[in-house]
Amino acid sequence: MGMKKFINNPDNLTAELLEGYCSAYSNKVQLVSDKIVMRLKPKDKSKVALLTLGGAGHEPALSGFVGEGMLDASVVGDIFAAPGAPKVIEAMRLLKRDAGILFVVLNHAGDVMSGNMAMEMAKQEGINVKMILTHEDIAPGADSPIENRRGLAGCIPLYKVAGAAAEAGKSLDEVYNIAEKFNNNMATLAVALKPATHPQSGQEIFTLAEDEMEIGMGQHGEAGTGRSQMLSADETAVKMITQLIMAVKAKKGDKIHLMINGAGATTQMEMFIVYRAAKKYVQGLGIKVVHSLVGEYLTVQEMGGFQMFVAKLDDELLKLMYAPADAPYWTVR
Amino acid sequence: MADNIGYEGIVKLLKAAAEKIKANRDYLSKLDSATGDGDHGTAVFKVADAITGTIAKDNSKNLKILLKDIGWAAMSTDAGSTSPLYGSLFMGMSESIADDALLDCKAFVSMMEAGVTKLRKNTKAEVGCKTMIDTLVPAITALRGAADSGKSIAQALSDGADAAVKGAESTKEMKATFGRAKNIGERSIGHIDPGATSMSLLFVGMKEGYQNG
Repeated sequence: MGMKKFINNPDNLTAELLEGYCSAYSNKVQLVSDKIVMRLKPKDKSKVALLTLGGAGHEPALSGFVGEGMLDASVVGDIFAAPGAPKVIEAMRLLKRDAGILFVVLNHAGDVMSGNMAMEMAKQEGINVKMILTHEDIAPGADSPIENRRGLAGCIPLYKVAGAAAEAGKSLDEVYNIAEKFNNNMATLAVALKPATHPQSGQEIFTLAEDEMEIGMGQHGEAGTGRSQMLSADETAVKMITQLIMAVKAKKGDKIHLMINGAGATTQMEMFIVYRAAKKYVQGLGIKVVHSLVGEYLTVQEMGGFQMFVAKLDDELLKLMYAPADAPYWTVR
Repeated sequence: MADNIGYEGIVKLLKAAAEKIKANRDYLSKLDSATGDGDHGTAVFKVADAITGTIAKDNSKNLKILLKDIGWAAMSTDAGSTSPLYGSLFMGMSESIADDALLDCKAFVSMMEAGVTKLRKNTKAEVGCKTMIDTLVPAITALRGAADSGKSIAQALSDGADAAVKGAESTKEMKATFGRAKNIGERSIGHIDPGATSMSLLFVGMKEGYQNG
């Protein structure tokens, strides 16, 4: 079956989407050197800069979160593919400052390789940068080794807290510690219903039977571990939130951030229904949901499904979550 | 006749290897859609294009510089993990040789080994993980064996290519424990690994490039 998408030459997808994105939000972001999305008004050099990298095809992630109070720059690869280290080091040179750079990398093989290589080059060039790896997917088990746990949509609220800390003038070590605290208290679980078509190859990135769903599916269609018959919204929500709450070890009296991130083809209606069921379950445990996001933040083309994300928040993280931000896809006034 | 290879010879090998990979773009993507996200053909095509593009532009006629430039260009291709892996292979080769290197069989093999060592710094994958390492390790072992037993460069490349192809085929019965394919575990059995296959095409292409050069 042919692919049905509004695209032109598949080889130009990333260039064209970045052109469109940066011109649509030309009051907030700018495209530098083809693949680097940067804040239009750079942050003061006395403050820590926040940098990330990742493949395209997940819009609005990751570049949708470049802006005041969040990312200073995002280095974009091709569809579902990490950018090369040379582009990353170029972005590091652009952001170079005594205050330092916090570099957020999602745990995917290509991203980590490019990230590590850029870190090696940065060291040789004397660029002050610290790398943080997100790995909050609990599909392989919350206690399984970090290398087995993918970085999913949790990077986005992490940009928020780290970005706010940087904006507040905290040092690189302080920003890193805040980000790491958030990183160590977050968990994501994804569920897939319908495949996405890779917009370059035209191939479906996985297959699922009509009556099946799969918990644990990655954001490139990498299969998970929990294929099952379709469950209702409430059953699915409770099954997922139970594991997430256990993973972050939240207990009565704790405060959490709860996010439902649509994969691309799941309606906002479904996401609200799922959110409602997850929140009820959490409240039943005496845990407070103090910050919520429901919508499309990190998508996988037209994949059906969503990611459910939980992070335990202390007062410091909560304050940073509500601090001002002005990125195209996350604004707090 | 001295059995040496220098700039011109390596260029022939690499051109042939890159063309071999390019010609198999669709086949490699098809392999990848069974275990990954179906874009390996595209990814490795970009790397192959970086190889031929760099060769076409090169004015240095200096093997060390050429290999470094190929490494940098491969790394810049935004092809997921394929870019840093191939990029570091060429960077490692470049770092191990002198500027105007003219390599005998043993020196040629040492250069290849240095590339593989650098590549392997990027991944914890071992033989049996269903990755390109399943091609690289037997291929490089065969190259070393040929060099140590006094065989010619042509014979070494031929042994290396045979071992590479066997190595790639051996991934068919393996269960993936690395890269994106690891997520499908048991379901990866029965599918040959695309990354192992493209790496075997590199070795086969080099062999053919030497024979036809």
